[in-house]
Amino acid sequence: MRVIILTWEFPPRVVGELSRYVNRLAVELASKKVDTHVVTYHDSWTGYHEGADGVKAHRISNPIKAQVNILTWVLSLNTEVERASAGIYYLAKREVDLVDAHDWHFIPAAVDLKKAFHLPFIFSVDSLEDHRSHGSGAPLSLSIKRIEWLGASESERVVTKSEWMRQEVSRIYEVPPEKITVVSPRASSWIDEILESYRKVIEATSESLAQSEADPS
Amino acid sequence: MNHSLRVLMLSWEFPPRIVGGIAPHVYNLSRDLVRRGIETHVVTCDFPGAPGYEEIDGVYVHRVDSYRSPSPDFATWVYLMNVNMEMESAAIIRRLDGQIGLIHAHDWLVANSAIGLKHIFRVPLVATIHSTEIGRRNGLHTDYERMIHQTEARLTNEAWKVICCSQYMTSHARWAYGLPEDKVMTIPNGVDVSAFGGEFDREKLRSTYASSDEKIVLFVGRLVHEKGVQVLIGAMPKVLARVNAKFVIVGNGYMKDSLIGQVHTMGLAHKAYFTGFLDDQALRLLYRCADVCVVPSLYEPFGITALEAMAAGVPLVVSDTGGLSEIVEHDRTGVKVFPNSSDSLAWGIARVLLDPGYADRIRANAYDEVLKEYSWGRIGERMGVLYQSVYDEYQGGSWKPA
Repeated sequence: MRVIILTWEFPPRVVGELSRYVNRLAVELASKKVDTHVVTYHDSWTGYHEGADGVKAHRISNPIKAQVNILTWVLSLNTEVERASAGIYYLAKREVDLVDAHDWHFIPAAVDLKKAFHLPFIFSVDSLEDHRSHGSGAPLSLSIKRIEWLGASESERVVTKSEWMRQEVSRIYEVPPEKITVVSPRASSWIDEILESYRKVIEATSESLAQSEADPS
Repeated sequence: MNHSLRVLMLSWEFPPRIVGGIAPHVYNLSRDLVRRGIETHVVTCDFPGAPGYEEIDGVYVHRVDSYRSPSPDFATWVYLMNVNMEMESAAIIRRLDGQIGLIHAHDWLVANSAIGLKHIFRVPLVATIHSTEIGRRNGLHTDYERMIHQTEARLTNEAWKVICCSQYMTSHARWAYGLPEDKVMTIPNGVDVSAFGGEFDREKLRSTYASSDEKIVLFVGRLVHEKGVQVLIGAMPKVLARVNAKFVIVGNGYMKDSLIGQVHTMGLAHKAYFTGFLDDQALRLLYRCADVCVVPSLYEPFGITALEAMAAGVPLVVSDTGGLSEIVEHDRTGVKVFPNSSDSLAWGIARVLLDPGYADRIRANAYDEVLKEYSWGRIGERMGVLYQSVYDEYQGGSWKPA
């Protein structure tokens, strides 16, 4: 199995809790023989790095230095995420199974990769804009929510870390609850449950692809 | 010519959505590319009443959700619109089995989509720079302007080739973005000469703008400082001292009220006619009623109105600046005057109006020049050659995925 993880924070860059979580996830996946690529942001430490733990990190920087807000910053970064991800895809002779996008930042890239390559993606939710902004309704917040909505609707599956977040994603973005899987990071079976969710998405995608090829209409 | 070449054209405006000069440019260019066997898909923003997909003269036009929700400012909207544009474009290219020869982007407004698609599908990108932020703003003063400038610079950096519409813009873009000389090509803008033909009652239409003993001096453009309309108003008394004329001023802009106030103060309100915005057809006929067309711009990357006047067979007086300097050859295809000088402009206008033989000669030469250098067929031909050379280099290189 070959997976591309998209995250805007990954050690040594630590903004919140997500960084350490994604690191733990990547290390565990690599130990389970998953070819694990992490595409992430760093200001200056860019390029490819394969750790002793087997995790392959691809760090990109923002080509546009002058920015007016978090959205323009994130959206110009997305094209670099796409460049790095497509590089992994072509180097692997197009054999990538899944994209796992953590929070909203790189959802546009995940959606574009899906549209271009039929590459399925999971939207892994750590936090939502409504909770971070206290539902401010400002244009900036609404625009970020629009991207979260894109992630919720275009992804093959949404994975949350709690039952409460599952209900919130379902309530705010009108996602059918059965599309959302809860995997608690505290559960002893955590990484196995994550892998199980990956496998299900990959299987469902190859089935639907086989179907559409058999019936091109 | 490779007849299987397929191009994806990205433009934020396309008829019926017309904001500025990019829409007619992309419209005419696309139609001509199709005529020479290049399959052309245009991806553009939606417009009320226009279909999401249609075929116009063989051009496949895809209109995407342009993101109508509130956004903090124009540039952020552009970035958000690009999320939708890139997503839809990726799906379009996928439906074509990823078989696309190149992507052609027009200005920074589609930069993010174009750059993302380039890397995802690994196809070459060419970019036309119609104007620059540093030129529009006369410098970079805020992070907002710097962000747009850097986005433009990145687009030219990611592009295989950069196209500018005049020698002036080519040299300006090279300076602004630090581009090597062999990366930037000049391919001029074009004008659809046939649109200026057809029968009409000239005397009748003319009488709605001026009396029969008045010559018509025509200005077409946004009423903003850089277009130099205030220089023309300043020239009015000097022209009127020598020849009876009506100054017909087409367009809108922030200077309109002050200009109208100015002609009143000068006691010349009866000699100036501000028409406001005119649609394409009315404008083309008005050109054909005019005795002289004036383009007094202080800053002009290209000068499409000069081409329109030439296509309509109107003698032309332009300020010797930017793209206008290249389009007009003094005393052969028009009259060049000093920029920002009412005296010089008045001299040029009077010269054309007082010497009908001279006016006829420059008008005829200008018309021949337009047919020879600025027809869309000529421009499409040059673009096709550029596409093919970029495509051939790409095919021969190692970046193309296996």
